[in-house]
Amino acid sequence: MSLSGDFADFADPAKKGYQLWAATVNAKGGLHGRKVVLKIADDASNPTQVVTNYQNLITASHVDLVFGPFSSLLTIPAATIASRFGYAFIEPSGAGPAVFALHLHDLFLAQPAPVVSSGDAFANYILSLPAGQRPQTAAYPSADDPFTAPIVTRVRQRLEGAGIKTVYSQTYAAETVDLAPVVSRLVAGKPDLIVSGTGGPDAVAEVKGMAQAHWSPKFLFFTGGPNAPGFASKVGTANAEGIFSTGDWFPGAKRPGNAEFVKAYVAKYGGTAAGIDPAAAEAYACGQLLELVAQRTGKIDNASIIAALHQGTWPTVEGDLSWDADGAPQGADLVVQWAGGQLQPVYPPEQAVTSPVAKPSWAS
Amino acid sequence: MHLLVQATIVGILIGGVYALLASGQTMIYGVTRTINFAQAIFAILSAYLTYTLFGALGLDPLLSVLVLVPAMFVVGAAMYMVLIRPLARSSGELALIVLYAIGIGIQGLLDLVYKTNTRLITPSYTDLSWTVAGFQIPAVRFFACLLAVAVLGVLHVIRLRTKLGRALRATAENPVAARLLGVDVERTSALGMGLGVATAGAAGAVFGMIFPFNGNTQYDLLSKLLSIGVLGGMASMPGTIVAAVVLGVIESVVAAEISPDWSAFSFLVVLFCVLSVRPQGLFGQRLRGAL
Amino acid sequence: MFTALLVALPLIIGQHWQVNLLVFTLMYAGLAAAWNLLGGYTGYPALGHGAFFGIGAYAMAIGTNHIGVGAGYRSFLLVLPIALATGVAVLPIARLLMRTRAATFALLSITVMFMVQTFAYNLRSLTHGSEGISVPLAPFPATTFERPFYYAMAALLALTLLVCWAVRTSKLGLSLNAVRDDEDRARGLGVQTELVKLVAFALSAGLTAGFGAVWAYYVTFVFPGFAIDPLLSLGVILMAFLGGRRTLWGPVVGAALIVPAQQYFAYRYGASHLYLVAYAALFLLVIYLLPDGIIPSIAARLTRLTRLTTRCAHTPRAHIADSIADKDSITDKGERV
Repeated sequence: MSLSGDFADFADPAKKGYQLWAATVNAKGGLHGRKVVLKIADDASNPTQVVTNYQNLITASHVDLVFGPFSSLLTIPAATIASRFGYAFIEPSGAGPAVFALHLHDLFLAQPAPVVSSGDAFANYILSLPAGQRPQTAAYPSADDPFTAPIVTRVRQRLEGAGIKTVYSQTYAAETVDLAPVVSRLVAGKPDLIVSGTGGPDAVAEVKGMAQAHWSPKFLFFTGGPNAPGFASKVGTANAEGIFSTGDWFPGAKRPGNAEFVKAYVAKYGGTAAGIDPAAAEAYACGQLLELVAQRTGKIDNASIIAALHQGTWPTVEGDLSWDADGAPQGADLVVQWAGGQLQPVYPPEQAVTSPVAKPSWAS
Repeated sequence: MHLLVQATIVGILIGGVYALLASGQTMIYGVTRTINFAQAIFAILSAYLTYTLFGALGLDPLLSVLVLVPAMFVVGAAMYMVLIRPLARSSGELALIVLYAIGIGIQGLLDLVYKTNTRLITPSYTDLSWTVAGFQIPAVRFFACLLAVAVLGVLHVIRLRTKLGRALRATAENPVAARLLGVDVERTSALGMGLGVATAGAAGAVFGMIFPFNGNTQYDLLSKLLSIGVLGGMASMPGTIVAAVVLGVIESVVAAEISPDWSAFSFLVVLFCVLSVRPQGLFGQRLRGAL
Repeated sequence: MFTALLVALPLIIGQHWQVNLLVFTLMYAGLAAAWNLLGGYTGYPALGHGAFFGIGAYAMAIGTNHIGVGAGYRSFLLVLPIALATGVAVLPIARLLMRTRAATFALLSITVMFMVQTFAYNLRSLTHGSEGISVPLAPFPATTFERPFYYAMAALLALTLLVCWAVRTSKLGLSLNAVRDDEDRARGLGVQTELVKLVAFALSAGLTAGFGAVWAYYVTFVFPGFAIDPLLSLGVILMAFLGGRRTLWGPVVGAALIVPAQQYFAYRYGASHLYLVAYAALFLLVIYLLPDGIIPSIAARLTRLTRLTTRCAHTPRAHIADSIADKDSITDKGERV
């Protein structure tokens, strides 16, 4: 895992998810009566270190099984090593297109959908609106990074196809936090809808910029940022109201083991259910998959895991998972929205707990 | 046109904060002939301390400067006495590498204490802004720039009107001659480094309420600082301030008018063009024999 | 002897993880030696060698994807042409950079690195921008997968050391020394300073690119932020300093000590964030206890010993010690007239 460097911020909840799963399964007597011992190595968000770590884990420490690191960028070198040694590679976060382009048979992403399609549900929602309520114009700012830009491009192409006019479409360097110039363009263009490809800090900066300009669009969607728990406290609860994002997991989801997971997480790390980062659930689901394989097949060697996961569906806190030959999951993400200080799934209707609310205007 | 002016305003405001941070670096360069690779991490350290003071005591970031500036001054002066002075006889590169190591070490400590999730300081006026002649002026940026101007003013007075200032300038100009003229070069250098780190303290406090930050933010900040230093001419205080504002404005205007993807790049192009004409930077004096 | 050791090493210790560490150690040793040509011998504090490493890595990725030299061992055939081409291509930039000195040069070299990184992000049709570009997986058998990379790195390191040795023992080396000690006087004495500086820059950059190319093939994935990494340059400089810059073997010794330690620290203790602190502490210890680097410090001590015992001042070691002794002469280089 990246415990220092660029990705450390995002990787920490995933580490907690892994540790929680290990504690939970050990409390139940372990996997097949064997106690699970996690060996977590810091890759410093650096590919050279990732290569060394997976080499060391597999050939020096002789671990029985490996899980994935954080970020697609590190998943790629890690996955090729695991594959070379015949290890199953269940991974929580490498969801970028380049991961599946490796065509690795032993790779499985423990999320309902690959990253490129995570804006699809939002596009569906916008297109499901009656013509009178649909936005006429849209802006698409995005960080230049493989977890954001492809989502935004895909949403843009669909909305353009449906006749929604694009007034702004630009990318900025991934680590940018000074979004004031971008925001001034957005405010000047006054689109009805903004679809932002953001990773976290840039989403905060964009919302603050628009709040300072006393302007907001009718629909405001971010690929990342608002779906992490600390968002409302950073931008202010009032500013978060009505903001859309995408999610693969939420605390109230009626999924196998989810209530148990939420309870155990709060007991172990404190805080509230709403404060759990989805990345923790993704990592936890990796462990759940192992448990399920052990239950169903009675084996936990790498070859059996790989063979088993390519068949059937696997119920986890991330939903019922199944994969194509390259390890890309075949489900769909949800649209989530901040309403009354809470992040709730609002679309598609069959998975929603409430319906979307109108975004309050920030004009003072 | 409206957009251009708006982007320029935003650029000037943030340029002020960069100017503050870079002026400290320039002062340190003057007395030690070394680029302070830890300047950015001191700003981040100060931002974290401000975050803590704000969270625990409710102390406003603009007021916490009153605590942080003296504290960082002591840190800087002590750092010179303990770590940099013993290296005075070897080349400047060695001190540069020591400072870089200090930067890494402090980041490691900050990561330990504060973890790595990004923080943002949100005082009551975080969303406040004024509309002047149709242009938006966000309060946090305005206050930050105001503070920067105030600190730079104080620095200016110190440099020009006090005995310490004369000693600082003499040391920067020629340490050997300064020593002959009776300047205590080592004491002056320690005070100079203290002042330089103190400006990082002031800049960090306001930086943390404008941008989300963590320990890793130091690299982004450092690359800006370095570019400013080169454009301004390393040892020139006016050069530094002009270069910082130019950086703020160019990045902001290019991001708004052309594409944010190329905004950082555009500044580098300007930098390159200037240097191919004037290798010593805008306001720099020629190094001995340098072309 | 060194060559024999290099060849035999992976056969003696066959563990994958050990060979993997050796691959990176040789890489850093070579990078540090290549940096030394410019940063050590010539005395120009270059901080942006990540740019050339990245150019090599991208050239490898683009070469294997688009030109189709074929996978397997044949991909290694690209390494030398990439090194050569980079060495030549950087000349115009080198010419501009070498007009500046000391701190300004250091900063400009970093600037070049960030410009190259911006290009890597934004020239999407060529580099795939922020999505990164995969290098086709090498089809080597898993049991000895690391060995071809090991030998590629070893060969490149040997070449780098050979170049360093040739430079040191030739007129070029003398000219570079003269540039380092007092560039203006050197020019006054008729040294073609412009030319020798350019040669040092091109050699240094080209060799660095070669290592980048092999790295890309080994790690299989090239991403702007990874391939063009400011921390890479700084790590390399630390290794050269530790071992003793301006010596032939210093960078190798530095890398041999730091790389395994660093990779091991991160693997073992990274989980507690302590490794950054430990790394910095090690760094500081080295500089304060061995300011000249390991090889010169030991050499100086040995020389003192030899001088005392045999009174023979003209041993080769004394030569090294002398070249360290005159290091102080460049201290005031940055001073204004």
